[in-house]
Amino acid sequence: MIEAQGLSKRYGGVAALDGLSFTLPDGSRTALIGPNGAGKSTLLALLSTLAAPSDGTASIDGLDVAAAPPELRGRLGVMTHRPMVYEELSPLENLMFFGGLYGVPELHSRAEELLRAIGLWLRRDEPVEVLSRGYHQRLALARTLLHRPSVLLLDEPETGLDEQGRVLLDELMLRAPGMTVLAATHRHDRIDSWADGVLRLERGRLAEDWTALALPGVR
Amino acid sequence: MNGTQAVVAKDLRLLWRQRSGWLSAGTFAIVSVLIYSFAFDLAVADVRPLLPGVLWVTFLFAGIVASGNSFAQEAEQGTFDAMLLAPVSRTSLYAGKVLANMVALLVIEVAVLLIATILFNTSLLTLELALIVVVGTLGYVSLTTLLSTLGSRVRSRAVLLPVLALPLLVPLLIAAVRATGGALGEPGGGAPWLLLLGVFTLWSALGSALLFPLVAER
Repeated sequence: MIEAQGLSKRYGGVAALDGLSFTLPDGSRTALIGPNGAGKSTLLALLSTLAAPSDGTASIDGLDVAAAPPELRGRLGVMTHRPMVYEELSPLENLMFFGGLYGVPELHSRAEELLRAIGLWLRRDEPVEVLSRGYHQRLALARTLLHRPSVLLLDEPETGLDEQGRVLLDELMLRAPGMTVLAATHRHDRIDSWADGVLRLERGRLAEDWTALALPGVR
Repeated sequence: MNGTQAVVAKDLRLLWRQRSGWLSAGTFAIVSVLIYSFAFDLAVADVRPLLPGVLWVTFLFAGIVASGNSFAQEAEQGTFDAMLLAPVSRTSLYAGKVLANMVALLVIEVAVLLIATILFNTSLLTLELALIVVVGTLGYVSLTTLLSTLGSRVRSRAVLLPVLALPLLVPLLIAAVRATGGALGEPGGGAPWLLLLGVFTLWSALGSALLFPLVAER
């Protein structure tokens, strides 16, 4: 479960987020929408422990994100519009490095499984820099899922993906069972296909919250 | 494999693949020593009193040329954030970065000492001098690694690192130069300076390790 109470983030005197409160139940799939500068990326940075809130609290599965305990970080899968992979390393080397940091058991076979799933197994030893942008993002998808996270925080994950890549994104992440998903997106036309709730931000505030329908027993 | 070991192994692999940055730092260091040797050969009979300064100025600028890239590329590719998301302590990530940078800088320093030994006709490959160089390099790299993290998210990072690092490194450089002079048999150097170098290095390493989690946060 993801919970936020009066969550705010200020940079200098400018409020990027202003008093956000919401609850996303386990297993919910929520689209985070809003214009550029609405605070979507800031919210995801706070929830993913990369930034600390200026005010308010947020927790995931009861763990305070401001304290950023390793136990919490091990449950999160974070993917952004930037692939966050080393371009000078090969896809396999990237997954072996990040898998080592996460202490993934049977790492090599897990990396092989994911590289086969995203269509990069045959190019596993080529430097990432020679691969196309779409493959960078597919590798990011594999990096995000490597440690079998239970909560996915996605910031415009479809950026750079071709149609085949978007199918993989849907199958492996957005519609995969057992995961709680919060995904910022500008692709409003695709939301219906995967989301069961929507949060709309505007100027750092929660303008609309259509997540109540996702509460157990109400849906 | 823990966080520190994983980062050291990955960074050394990256340093090998991106040799151009470290090669230019190494080339700069060797050319500097070569120029000093020609300049001093004409001006003074005994170059040993000048050698500590020559060595540490060369190490300092070679390190600044090289270590600025350490976090800059991580920040540009977003991999720095990807590392921070992992369930390992941020201090262990910092330790991995420091160790990898230290290995790379020590390789340059050994090359400089070898060439300086030949050019200045003075034995610089002694155990005492090796200890001073290793301790001084640890103190130096601890601080510059922290500062390059701080500067990795700003556009003017190439200017920021030397501007922040040089004033903070003055005590370390003075202690390192005097301790090196003592190791070369010059009066006024020796144990007290080596002790000061050790204390500064300890302060620099511990303080930077404690500050890193705060500096890494957005």
